[in-house]
Amino acid sequence: MDLLDNYKKVWNNHPKDTRKFSLEEIYELAHSKSSSIVKWIFIIGLIEFVVLNSSYFFIDMSEAFSLYEKMGLINFIYYTQIIFYIIVFYFLIKFYKNYKKISTTDSISTLMIKIIKTRKTVRNYVLFNLSYFILIMIVITIASINTNFDNLSNKEILIVTIITILVTVLILGIMWLFYQLLYGILLRKLNTNYKKLADLNSEK
Amino acid sequence: MEKTIEKEFLSDFEKNQNIVHKICRIFTTNQNDHNDLFQEITIQVWKSYSKYRGDAKFSTWMYRVALNTAISLYRKSTKRIKYQNIDDFAYKIKATDYDQTEEFQLEALYKAMHQLNDIDKALIYLYLENKPYEEISETLGISSINARVRMNRAKEKLKKILSP
Repeated sequence: MDLLDNYKKVWNNHPKDTRKFSLEEIYELAHSKSSSIVKWIFIIGLIEFVVLNSSYFFIDMSEAFSLYEKMGLINFIYYTQIIFYIIVFYFLIKFYKNYKKISTTDSISTLMIKIIKTRKTVRNYVLFNLSYFILIMIVITIASINTNFDNLSNKEILIVTIITILVTVLILGIMWLFYQLLYGILLRKLNTNYKKLADLNSEK
Repeated sequence: MEKTIEKEFLSDFEKNQNIVHKICRIFTTNQNDHNDLFQEITIQVWKSYSKYRGDAKFSTWMYRVALNTAISLYRKSTKRIKYQNIDDFAYKIKATDYDQTEEFQLEALYKAMHQLNDIDKALIYLYLENKPYEEISETLGISSINARVRMNRAKEKLKKILSP
């Protein structure tokens, strides 16, 4: 008899009197709070949508708008903001739809793909936000140099440009590290298992 | 209506909880984690119970939800329900009519399975539970041929670990 057949026999005799939960205990367990990664992705996703869009509460917008007006950027800001919110809305719907599609009754690989897809929507949303941030930074820098062009020396223009680039890179770097850490920890197990399963499917 | 579904769920789950205990024992190595995973599986089975239409055996359906939770959803949590008799739960089986040699063999089998990766654990578990390849490939979402190839490899790995 094969070694595993022997163990299988032992398995089939697996005693049933290991710890059993009562109906009351099962009821309590079923109604307790989940700590699944899907729940965490949803919470983190929602926080990102809220935090990244709540700058209005922290920035004095009337002051910012008067500055934009001075630089001749008011139309640019106005129209890009409209486009920005249409895209944010699109991301929100996509995120919610992907989240709703996640079901534990799917096969293991389908479930993993759906979780990864939902996470990617959040990642793309963050990337979009950062790109928008970079665009605004560049436009404002160019506009402020243009507005004060006569008063600035070449050296000053160079310093402003370098500082803007450095600040942008620094913010992007911090954000990138933060996301690597956050999703790295959250999805480490899932990513490893998904890779293993994907390897399985690519084998002929 | 909700109450009837809940009653059915509780009765189905209670009868089949051995499936979940075995999965927890394969995917965790101590009793706290075991209970933790058991709790998450119970939540997930209850959450998706409305999707269970009774056209498949409840146990078959539960294998999928439980394995999905163990492999993809489970994260350790510190905020968990504490059981009164948590210390009573030991991995050692204390049934008097149970062969001691078999007890050691079962212990060795679980220990060996702990050394496998999560996908191999699921494969071996389904093999031990006598699941047909069709069901294994459907549960994992891979082709039947791939399931066979991978199963053979997982078995080889397990044999190597179990061989003295």
